[in-house]
Amino acid sequence: MKYFKSLSALLLLSILFSGCKKDISQQVLYDNVIYEVNPVSVYANNAEKVKQKSSEQFISVLYSNLTNKSIPGDDLNNLAELALSFGDKELMNRVLLENMLGEPDIKIPTNEEMRSNIEAFVNETYLRFFLRNPTPYEKYFFKDLINKDASLTSEMVYVAFAQSNEYLFY
Amino acid sequence: MKRRTFIKKAGIATAGMLAAPYLLPSGRLFAGTGDRLANHVVVVLFAGGVRHQESIDQSYLSAQGFATTGNLLQNMLVGNAPSTNLVYSPWQPILSSPLVKQGTLFKEMRYATGPTGHFNGHTAAITGNYTDVSLNLNLNPDFPTVFEYYRKHTDPARSAINSWWMSEGLGPYPALNYSRNGMYGPMYGANYLRPATTFGSYGLDYLSDAITFQPDDVVKINSMKSFLDKNFDKTAADYPGIINTPEDREKIKSFIYQTLNKTSTNQIEWPLPPGISTAELTGDLVNMAYAWQVLQNFAPELLVINSFDLDACHFNFTDYLSYMHKADYGVGWLWDKIQHDPVLANDTILICMPDHGRNELPNSVYDANGLRAFDHTSDENSRRLFALIVGPAARVKQDQVVGDLINPVGETIDLVPTVAHILGFHEYIPGGLLPGRILEEAFV
Repeated sequence: MKYFKSLSALLLLSILFSGCKKDISQQVLYDNVIYEVNPVSVYANNAEKVKQKSSEQFISVLYSNLTNKSIPGDDLNNLAELALSFGDKELMNRVLLENMLGEPDIKIPTNEEMRSNIEAFVNETYLRFFLRNPTPYEKYFFKDLINKDASLTSEMVYVAFAQSNEYLFY
Repeated sequence: MKRRTFIKKAGIATAGMLAAPYLLPSGRLFAGTGDRLANHVVVVLFAGGVRHQESIDQSYLSAQGFATTGNLLQNMLVGNAPSTNLVYSPWQPILSSPLVKQGTLFKEMRYATGPTGHFNGHTAAITGNYTDVSLNLNLNPDFPTVFEYYRKHTDPARSAINSWWMSEGLGPYPALNYSRNGMYGPMYGANYLRPATTFGSYGLDYLSDAITFQPDDVVKINSMKSFLDKNFDKTAADYPGIINTPEDREKIKSFIYQTLNKTSTNQIEWPLPPGISTAELTGDLVNMAYAWQVLQNFAPELLVINSFDLDACHFNFTDYLSYMHKADYGVGWLWDKIQHDPVLANDTILICMPDHGRNELPNSVYDANGLRAFDHTSDENSRRLFALIVGPAARVKQDQVVGDLINPVGETIDLVPTVAHILGFHEYIPGGLLPGRILEEAFV
């Protein structure tokens, strides 16, 4: 009888504990989707961009976007001080952009490359500057614009992207 | 679009801009809100902490145990220069008559409350409110700045190109061009500039490879930017810093390139006496030289600049004396330039005031000449300062001295009301924001 009581208690405890067992699951949320061609994070849309870039971030990203390499630390510090030395940050960003474009190691697709495959150029430009794919309407707009205007250059497209509001945010 | 060496076209564009000045000879396009004493105010914060003894009292080395006294501020004050025990190289004054003869000297003013630190001193002068904020906080001040009052209360709204804040150094000073006050803020801020960086080695190194675009190309770029911005719900207005109008941005950009070009081709006129090498230039004089470039190009209605080298007094009294002497030359040089400018002459009031004073007793440091150094730790002596208000005889009382040690007249926080009075917007500033008063004693 004593043995039976012990067995019953053990069974009861077993049922109780098995009833309290908690399923543990881990949910992993990714901020961005991974673009499969280039190893860059891609936003699903521009609404995800809610933070302003600091001057250092703007300069660093701009340099990377235009040269495909990281900016040397000293240059970043010096350019950040330059940016600090003038109160109108947008104006200084534009001045810095114009000067980076004048440097010899800038990697911008040529006009011929742009026009040989406009859709790819538009896609790549959106990915390069905005870290997202263009919407169908955006893609149509730029394809149409480039097709219709033979004088439009890839450099001008890059400048427009680098001066846009969206480029100031991440 | 053409690539270029960065200057040529910018220079041409700027020349065109200057050929058709956007300001009338009076310096104004519109009627002001209130009556004005002058259409331009230049404030020199004669900063770095200036001891009353070596400046106004002209005691020179007497605090160091030498009998020699004399006036180091030959362009600002009346008095003979030291003639013996010289530890600086005297420069011939640029002004034939010192500034005090052309205005009113508030001989004894007070920095009444709060720490006598540089950022506090600058903040108190520019906002008209004393502050207890610690040093080196890169935060915009709580109270509105004189620039914001000016731009908000002068109708119609003035563009930022009409108000400039130029500092000798960086640190926290870029943050003084606008406040965090909800009623004002960056939309009313001044154009901030630190010339030693923008036009110094960094500017020359990094801003010399610019490309430029033809106007047609700019239209196309702006059209694409407009499309991109329409597809993004946040605006650049959220971006930190002030915003100039597109037209003003083009003018300022041209100014930057033109001034870099002048710098690289040795065309900048420096505040130096004839025959003195540019090796003698100080940061203060560099700031004043470029302040003149801004005045010459934009004829702003409100310009505030500072000098800062005098702060060497913490560890080098000899340099302190030399820098004071040179900063005085810079102030005289700037006033001389203003008086020879067709827009600014006889329509500008200059206010020169230190950020705060300096201690009565020295610290433990001796310089190479055996002279003792002085800090500024909020003792009563560091609360002593002065102000010089100079302008046209019809508006500013000439050759007048106000106040003395027993009866000080004026405070640091009176600068903002006084500037507002000169530019005619003081009565439109909401009550309770400015505890100071107009230094009316200076005006006719």
